[in-house]
Amino acid sequence: MINIDKKLKIIIGIVLSLWGLITVIPFAWMILSAFKTNPEIVSTQPSLFPNEWTFDNFRELFERLNFDVYLVNTAIITALGFVGLFLNAMAGFAFAHYDFKFKNFLFLLVLATMMIPGQVTMIPVYLLLNQMGLTNTYLGIVLPGLTGAFGIFLFRQFFSNISEEFFEAARLDGASDFYVFFRVALPLSKPIIAVQGILTFIAGWNSFLWPLIIANDQSFYTLSVGLQLLQGQHGTNYALQMAGAAFMVIPILIIFIIFQKYILTGFNISGGK
Amino acid sequence: MKSKKAPYFFIAPAIILLLMFSIFPILIALVISFTDMSLAGLADFSRINFLGIENYQNILQDKVFLQSITNTLFYVIFGVPLVILFSLTIAILINMGQSKYFSFMRVVFYSPSITNIVAVAIVWAFLFNPSESIGLINQVLGTVGIGPIGWLTSTEFSKISLIILAVWRGIGINMLIFSAALQNIPRTMYEAAELDGATRLEQIWYITIPQLKFSTFFVTITTIIGWLQFFEEPFVMTEGGPLNSTTSVALFIYRNGFQNNQFGYAAAGSLLLFIVIILATMLQLRLQRRAD
Amino acid sequence: MVKINKLLLGTTSLLSLSLLAACGNGDEESGSEESSDTLSVWMMGDGNETVQPIFDAYTEETGIEVDLQSIPWSAAHDRLLTAVASGEGPDVVQMGSTYMAEFTDAGALLDISDYIESSDALSPENFFEGNVATTMFDDNYYGVPWYTETRALYYRTDLLEEVGYPEGPSNWEELYDAAVKLSERGDNMYGFDINLKEQTFGPMFAKQNGSEIINEAGEPVLNEPEFVEAIEYLHSFVEAGATTNQDLGIELSQSFGGEGIVPMFISGPWSISMIEDQTTDIEGKWDIRTLPEGPVSNVSNTGGANLAVWSSSDHPDEAMDLIEHMVSVDSLMTYYDTTSSLPALVEAWEEEPFQDEKIAVFGEQLENSEHMPLIEGWDRMSQAYLSSFEQIMVGGADIQETLDNLNEEVKTIIE
Repeated sequence: MINIDKKLKIIIGIVLSLWGLITVIPFAWMILSAFKTNPEIVSTQPSLFPNEWTFDNFRELFERLNFDVYLVNTAIITALGFVGLFLNAMAGFAFAHYDFKFKNFLFLLVLATMMIPGQVTMIPVYLLLNQMGLTNTYLGIVLPGLTGAFGIFLFRQFFSNISEEFFEAARLDGASDFYVFFRVALPLSKPIIAVQGILTFIAGWNSFLWPLIIANDQSFYTLSVGLQLLQGQHGTNYALQMAGAAFMVIPILIIFIIFQKYILTGFNISGGK
Repeated sequence: MKSKKAPYFFIAPAIILLLMFSIFPILIALVISFTDMSLAGLADFSRINFLGIENYQNILQDKVFLQSITNTLFYVIFGVPLVILFSLTIAILINMGQSKYFSFMRVVFYSPSITNIVAVAIVWAFLFNPSESIGLINQVLGTVGIGPIGWLTSTEFSKISLIILAVWRGIGINMLIFSAALQNIPRTMYEAAELDGATRLEQIWYITIPQLKFSTFFVTITTIIGWLQFFEEPFVMTEGGPLNSTTSVALFIYRNGFQNNQFGYAAAGSLLLFIVIILATMLQLRLQRRAD
Repeated sequence: MVKINKLLLGTTSLLSLSLLAACGNGDEESGSEESSDTLSVWMMGDGNETVQPIFDAYTEETGIEVDLQSIPWSAAHDRLLTAVASGEGPDVVQMGSTYMAEFTDAGALLDISDYIESSDALSPENFFEGNVATTMFDDNYYGVPWYTETRALYYRTDLLEEVGYPEGPSNWEELYDAAVKLSERGDNMYGFDINLKEQTFGPMFAKQNGSEIINEAGEPVLNEPEFVEAIEYLHSFVEAGATTNQDLGIELSQSFGGEGIVPMFISGPWSISMIEDQTTDIEGKWDIRTLPEGPVSNVSNTGGANLAVWSSSDHPDEAMDLIEHMVSVDSLMTYYDTTSSLPALVEAWEEEPFQDEKIAVFGEQLENSEHMPLIEGWDRMSQAYLSSFEQIMVGGADIQETLDNLNEEVKTIIE
């Protein structure tokens, strides 16, 4: 780290605080609106804080959502998503530290998958899953998004940063490739696993399209789908929406704060802090 | 010894999944782009007609499509550098602090990424409101005698407004990636530099930035790809208006293809966008290789 | 290397297999695997809240289970699309009236003419004409009207009284006059809301001026004098500053409530509850009336949804039986209680809630309300219209010229 003195630290702190304050307004508004009535949200004189705090939105939310079912589904789908994180890490590691035939071509292929809008692929993917008999299964819901170019690419870039010597040392001791990956590479990549972990969690937690399309009944719906169901054909009950959004963001914040610790405990050649 | 087979084991699961759920659908889309696939064709394949390159010819003459290309280029040219600059700056500033409070700021700057899109739309519609009595930004500008500006309602400002919004949303994730990469820079490098009498700015310029080369490359590529597919902001804020001034290529594809079930036409648009993105990415890969 | 070749071989054969399978997929796979005493139903919105009581009553009566899948409005089109692609749909599906043409054309819905003809309860005469029209294609029936919507004029009684129209404007001249006077209240004050995002807005006014949208020969007539005059009439509001041609980006509570920035707008029955929920300050200061009379009529625009049977359903008889149950007065009243959707069944309007003054206005307007043309390319056509309308209203484009171009464009779409 760059050494800085107290004075500079305070200045930076103030700059970040002001900038952060502007940044966080919509988020704060979302959370606080969960405690407002709908008329207050859309009133002519909008305010950040509720005039009168109400918990009715949460009450209605929990009464109307099939909460137990949706929560379990969301948790399962999120957990399965972490298998994908692991697969991404493996692929990223191979692209960073091995030379093999068609490597560049395959990597470009991986990148290419990032470049097509999701709507184009929705129907072919659905037909494929349908043929594989994966409708109405958790596997069908998670498979399309299990691995992704973004994750593979991120891991590759990160592993490229780690010097080959680290792995060579282990290999000289007779370690297998898998051992090197699991015991040397993965522990070294805590910061990026943490970043990927946050992203994986958010993606799983918010999954909407596939739980809806793959399911033939509501028993596979997630919280996101349930939340969308509450939206009417015309107009929206913003208060209810914000209560749902505020509720859904709590686990994300917890995960973020837990994982952030690992972003910061990154490995340091000089022995760290 | 490195095993020859190992890399294939490592990449196989990911590659197979991507082949099935991304590459294969892209190939299907390629086939569809030469047909007049519609809802009826989806139900009954005998109603699909082969059109050759007609979809491509038509879309390249579609005024709205051409305008959406110009709009998208505008988004990319101004949006991408801003996102990278801001997220890098914030990541470095936070990293300098090294305290609980500064760590907390990371959550703050990440918050736009996890704010519900409905909330985003409501709050920003309020901020951007054209009326001086309602719109907060215009209120502030009014006190210094500027405006009121039709942020989302005038064709001159609508794109800029969406860029402001998208930059605000895009900083979080890239800041996080830079933050992770910053942990990898050996402390000894700074210590040595400091002994040599380097100022803090010099340390940032000569150590931090070069050391972040890989991450910057990653962020640049993914951000460009993301902005070429710019969709959600115009979708929720302006629906492409006024007068198509904010319609992006992705929004055009969505609107003309998927709302109207012209899958063939939409697929042709997607494939063109796909090619552009591939070319942009390959160019960057080449530039990076040259820089190495 | 052997392993790699196997791997590649495996992958490619898997791919080609699935490709073949996907292409070979057709109607031979039927929708539901449940036994005949379970019916699957897709409803839009929160079905647990809105229709489950109707199904519970049905199950109790007949012993047939109803498996409900609620689909969010925002994703309804995607879900229906995948169902068409795989051929696997529910037994009974709720179909928005604007979806009817494309999904019927795609063969997704069962021709239920025989059932309709043999049932007294489902007879077309029982339903509003505008809604029946949305179920009929080539003289065959593909759906049963479920709920209906039409548009009427919402206005602020207090503000309209000030400009001399306490009952609201009753014809085009009065509408214009009232709007202009209201807009003279000050800067950023308007009289009437012209909806630039509503596909039916301009065409509805054109119909009131005696215009058709598509004539009997199947050609668009969007540049004929009747249509052009109607657009010119709407444009005159912009010229007079009586409407805003910018999206104000504000909610109903701000535009209609308070000082009434926009004290007149046209909307469907759903706005009643929105005003009641969102505004607290204008109770007793607003009302609804049938649309102002144009030179020829005050015809409004019908919308709503139908109930249909998916073409691959294994249980069409049971499905129709369920539909018959769903359009009974009792069921419709339950649905009205939970969603405020107006029944398309005329008989149901004798019930007590529809004697309410405000809602009765929609009942009255329904007598004079039509659906927009039910053609497969309607969505594309209306997108083209919206774009032209915006060019005229916002961009100041020449009206006749723009509509000439629009008409040409629509011609190619319809072909």
